[in-house]
Amino acid sequence: MKILYAEDEKQLSVAVTEILKMEGFTVTPVYDGREALNAINNDYFDAVVLDIMMPVMDGIEVLKEMRRSGNHTSVLMLTAKTTVDDRIKGLSEGADDYLAKPFAMKELVARLRSLMRRQNDYRYSVLKIANIELNSNTCELKSDKGSLRLNNTEAELLTFLIRNINTYYSAEEINTQVWNGNESAEKAELYIFYLKNKLIQIHSKVIILINENQYALGEVT
Amino acid sequence: MKQEDLLFYGEFAPKLEEIRQLLLTEIQSILDSLSTDSETAVAEHIKCRIKSADSLKEKLRRTGLEEKAESGLRNLSDLVGARVITHFIGDIYTVLDLIKNNSKWQVKNVKDYIADMKPNGYRSLHVILTVPFGVGDIDTIDVEIQLRTIAMDCWASLEHQLKYKKNIQNTTLIVDELKRCADEMASTDLTLQTIRDLIQRG
Repeated sequence: MKILYAEDEKQLSVAVTEILKMEGFTVTPVYDGREALNAINNDYFDAVVLDIMMPVMDGIEVLKEMRRSGNHTSVLMLTAKTTVDDRIKGLSEGADDYLAKPFAMKELVARLRSLMRRQNDYRYSVLKIANIELNSNTCELKSDKGSLRLNNTEAELLTFLIRNINTYYSAEEINTQVWNGNESAEKAELYIFYLKNKLIQIHSKVIILINENQYALGEVT
Repeated sequence: MKQEDLLFYGEFAPKLEEIRQLLLTEIQSILDSLSTDSETAVAEHIKCRIKSADSLKEKLRRTGLEEKAESGLRNLSDLVGARVITHFIGDIYTVLDLIKNNSKWQVKNVKDYIADMKPNGYRSLHVILTVPFGVGDIDTIDVEIQLRTIAMDCWASLEHQLKYKKNIQNTTLIVDELKRCADEMASTDLTLQTIRDLIQRG
């Protein structure tokens, strides 16, 4: 599970990051709101942990901007203990949960796991990355310049590649990880080529990258 | 040309017919240069028509131009139009390259609605050509070639019916469904092209 963790207090960030990693999360730490927003727009995360008080752009602004652009990734806000108003503001701007500082690590881990379990409803079925979005209910693949309908197999593969952006896989690994080995490496490769051409057609800014029989979704260089 | 069209186009009619023939012949020879084997033929079919007097008059009215053949010849680019229907998306661009290299005309403009589809889902490639005319004081006229796959053509013919049919129920639903269909067909066109590339690569 990939977590983006935005916290400007470096020492706290290092400690929390280490503990979350030990609990099996993959953590990307960032230190201000602007960095957080850049990471959200260029990578996929299962959940975002936002400190409210941050330099450059505070947590509420990041949250507002995310929701305004249609990003529905689960967000947990970290608030100062005394300010009820902050918590209400965060929740009403679209946060999924909050935790008051100082918090117990165990509670943060438990709340993140609980957020993951709730990710099955409709709004989480739209995955966004760069200038494209994939609706896994309708299999509609859209960009700001065009749209196409994928079939289920293509949509499953693209979902996997979005969630693991910039990671290279062999055709055999794709078969194992996306379809539990029920298809074949040949089919995985063919479907990679379908997606490659379809992403180009809608002017996607993320494309299929091929490197010595390894495939990844990544930004156009 | 029908009687009413001949009457409307008058002195320009023979030249228009000649240009229609020129388009047909040149496009056919482009296609023949790619393949003469019916198995691997690039185009499913080609069509070439001169705009009917009725439809031209309607367009001139709509665009606020004088309802005379001459004002159509000077201002519009689809009085003579050809349509090339291909099997695969890649063929469209192969044919486009050869159209660009033909000395019988000058390519004025290419509008690629495949790369940049219209919001309703319409996809085709439009090429505007300038050809010599030389009747009266009109030296050249513009004509249009549309290139599209069978799937795009099939979709466009249905969309065309929707445009001209009044009082259709559930218009929003139908418009949405047509858009979805266009996206599915475009996706299938690309799937076929990808498979074809794999087969040809061997």
